[in-house]
Amino acid sequence: MTELFWVVWAIVLGVTLSFSLGGFAALRPRWGGILVASGAGAAGGIGLSALFYFIGVLRGSATLAIAMEMTAIFGGAFLAWKRRWPRTAEVSESRGLKLTFAAAVALLLVIVTLAFAAAWQSNPQGNWDAWAIWNMRARYLAAGDGFAARAWSPVLGAASHPEYPLLLSSFIASCWAFSHSVSELAPIATGYAFFLALIAMVTGGVAALRGPIMGLAAGLVLLASPALLREAPAQYADVPLACYMAGAVLLAMLDRPVFAGILAGFAAWTKDEGLLFLAIFLVVSAVIKRRAAILALAGALPVALVAVAFKLSLPKLATSFTGVSGGGLASRAADFSRAGIILAAFGREIAAMSTSWYHPVLPLIALGVACGLERERLRAAVYSGSVALLLLLGYFGAFLVTGYDLKWQLDTALGRLLVQVWPLIVITAVAAMRAPKLAAAPAPKAQKKISGRR
Amino acid sequence: MNRTTAGLSAAAVLCLCGAVLFYNEETTYERQNADPYMVAAQAERLAPLAAAVPRDAVLGYITDAPGGPADTAMFTAAEYTLAPRMIERSANHEWVLGNFTRPGDFFAYAKDGLMLQHDFGNGVVLYRRAGKP
Repeated sequence: MTELFWVVWAIVLGVTLSFSLGGFAALRPRWGGILVASGAGAAGGIGLSALFYFIGVLRGSATLAIAMEMTAIFGGAFLAWKRRWPRTAEVSESRGLKLTFAAAVALLLVIVTLAFAAAWQSNPQGNWDAWAIWNMRARYLAAGDGFAARAWSPVLGAASHPEYPLLLSSFIASCWAFSHSVSELAPIATGYAFFLALIAMVTGGVAALRGPIMGLAAGLVLLASPALLREAPAQYADVPLACYMAGAVLLAMLDRPVFAGILAGFAAWTKDEGLLFLAIFLVVSAVIKRRAAILALAGALPVALVAVAFKLSLPKLATSFTGVSGGGLASRAADFSRAGIILAAFGREIAAMSTSWYHPVLPLIALGVACGLERERLRAAVYSGSVALLLLLGYFGAFLVTGYDLKWQLDTALGRLLVQVWPLIVITAVAAMRAPKLAAAPAPKAQKKISGRR
Repeated sequence: MNRTTAGLSAAAVLCLCGAVLFYNEETTYERQNADPYMVAAQAERLAPLAAAVPRDAVLGYITDAPGGPADTAMFTAAEYTLAPRMIERSANHEWVLGNFTRPGDFFAYAKDGLMLQHDFGNGVVLYRRAGKP
């Protein structure tokens, strides 16, 4: 059980820092700011803890990681104590509807957690990639005595991808190493923490952008997205990556570019797709947000440099994506039949995001019909939408040139790639909608007519 | 109830339906697919071998499993369980793990300097190269 302490410790570390340094106190509604600070803090704390552990392991001393964490946590706690959150006016919206939606979010959270519990019980070691890649490499990182380098050794089979980034494995390894216990609790708790952080950031962030009801509605849509929910207890890196990507985009939309950059940097250290995301995030930020992009780059740089240095220091593996895809790349890219196969697979996988008759796009359509679009808000939606669209195009391009068997790669990866982008799509859709209090507010003339009838 | 409230309520009800449907799907799936690659069972199966091989060993690997997903699952699950030891698909190592799917003549694999060190049962056999201490 002591593994759980280290998961909670990392979350406390990040939450303390985000509450003290994130500037989220200015966000309204207040609970939205608290949710964003908590979600970004939890994800950031796990990332920071993983980074400290990785550096500690490279330096041959895992306790160095604890020393760095202690310094950060006490520094953050001191600053948080100095900067208490002020009480200011709240956003006014229908209290009844708000409470109903908040209760619905809580109810859905209970339902999906019970479903996760079934997965944790029957497959505590997670699905294939969990034990074949992420947790396996965590075991090497946790073993001490100079075994860490085995986590990226070419001797490790191709199925274990020694070239993949190490944020998730490093964090799980830190929990195992500090608790002197290699059990499934650490990866299970880590996966759940990332899922909760994602829900918290999207709910709180959209609430701060578009009002409490829309924030709660965005949280509801994610809590009822079967494809995302299937991945949450799998112990893969896709939900952590989705969490970092959504967090980075939301924080950029909330004008917190440094924190946004930090989360984007962690995305690059989580999965290879995170490196693509980081590049797209910085380019889109430079085009749409201009000066904020420099601050985002400053936030992303430290972790991104670790990710890039790790990649560059590895020998080129024949079994990696770049190793397999190098030869015949041009001919594959020019093969139109491949583009057709990929587009058909996109269609199939988007349809497969459903369960039974329910597809998560249905509540989004209902929200769109209810609230309509708001022209003034489209700029915010264009920002997140551009990131999502370019990511999808990037994934399309990767499938186009891949040297792996195309059908196998589409079958095994595309569904999870869509899960990574889905929260960005939800954010984009909701950010473009009119806040319900505006839509509900009747014109004075119409109001008079109605009262006249009565 | 105006259009906005109706639409918001419809969205919330749809989400509730989605979550309940997911709960049904997930619990049914998990009941039918508990540990399909028998990863959890490997800890007990390979424990005696792990106790006999040093932690820093890189083991060779011999199997009777035909190639394909089952073979990859057996190999990878063994590697996961035996970490921090590493496993390489080759008999050219001091320690070699025999990971077999069925009973057979395990001595037949002991050739070219490889000796059967211990048969732990359950298809787990440890070989060791002759001449090594």
